[in-house]
Amino acid sequence: MSASDRREGTRHGDSGQNQESSDDGDGSTHSILRYGPQKSVDGWVIFVTGLHEESQEDDIIDMFSEHGQVKDFKLSYNRRTGQVIGYAMIEYARQSEAQDTINNFHGKRFLGKTISVHWAFVKPSVVGESTLSDIDGR
Amino acid sequence: MTDPSPNDDFYLRYYVGHEGKFGREFLEFELYPSGKLRYANNSNYKDDDLIRKEVYVSPAVVEEFRRLVEVSEITKVDDSKWKEPDERSTGHQELECKIGSHHIAFTACEIRSLGDIQKWNDPEGLQTFYYLTLDLKALVMALISSHFKARPIPD
Repeated sequence: MSASDRREGTRHGDSGQNQESSDDGDGSTHSILRYGPQKSVDGWVIFVTGLHEESQEDDIIDMFSEHGQVKDFKLSYNRRTGQVIGYAMIEYARQSEAQDTINNFHGKRFLGKTISVHWAFVKPSVVGESTLSDIDGR
Repeated sequence: MTDPSPNDDFYLRYYVGHEGKFGREFLEFELYPSGKLRYANNSNYKDDDLIRKEVYVSPAVVEEFRRLVEVSEITKVDDSKWKEPDERSTGHQELECKIGSHHIAFTACEIRSLGDIQKWNDPEGLQTFYYLTLDLKALVMALISSHFKARPIPD
């Protein structure tokens, strides 16, 4: 069930790891960026999107405590309506906790909406050159 | 070479600043298609230094920025009637965004509250602009403080 439903904000690849992309140059060769997770100062931060506007902080924290202890949590509210904007940042001490959470919760439904769970910060590195057809054809 | 990315039609830059009693104070951020997020905040209050941070955010985060811009419908706003900022008294803000085929670049006075803009031309457009900039700033602040554990000075 983890990444089976990829509807929202997920058109760029898998659940946050090793995403690849190409530049928009008009040449035939394109360098590939590979995004790996980037550690933050105090831990590993994941980015949740697609949260229902009536989501409650406690419910989100409860849910995201299943695969690790939530060290830090940020939820933003729409200044006009006072409702949840739709994204949250959740920090774990260990990379494995964050990765397990991404694997298990990405594409899951919460309050009737499909949520996306990705890394918040990434470490891009150019891993080589490829033709556009290689990228599109994978 | 430009930053390669799947979000290659999305770019965002925001600046707000003024000359105040502590000198020139500003906040600026810029999001590149690659996900590179640059943030700068200069507050001279209590001799705070210029803070500059840079981090790559994931495509999912870039997508959320894009979504905020889209739902705001800022691309339908026309700033031609907005009053020109007076740097000496009010400070100013700039919002530049490339999204799909749209490329907007707005300049407005610094808006301290919604009450300010009711007296100005095009309060509706300015309100759209105001709320979008609040939402964008909130996202940037949350990202910067999450990653660096710095406490950015809220505007």
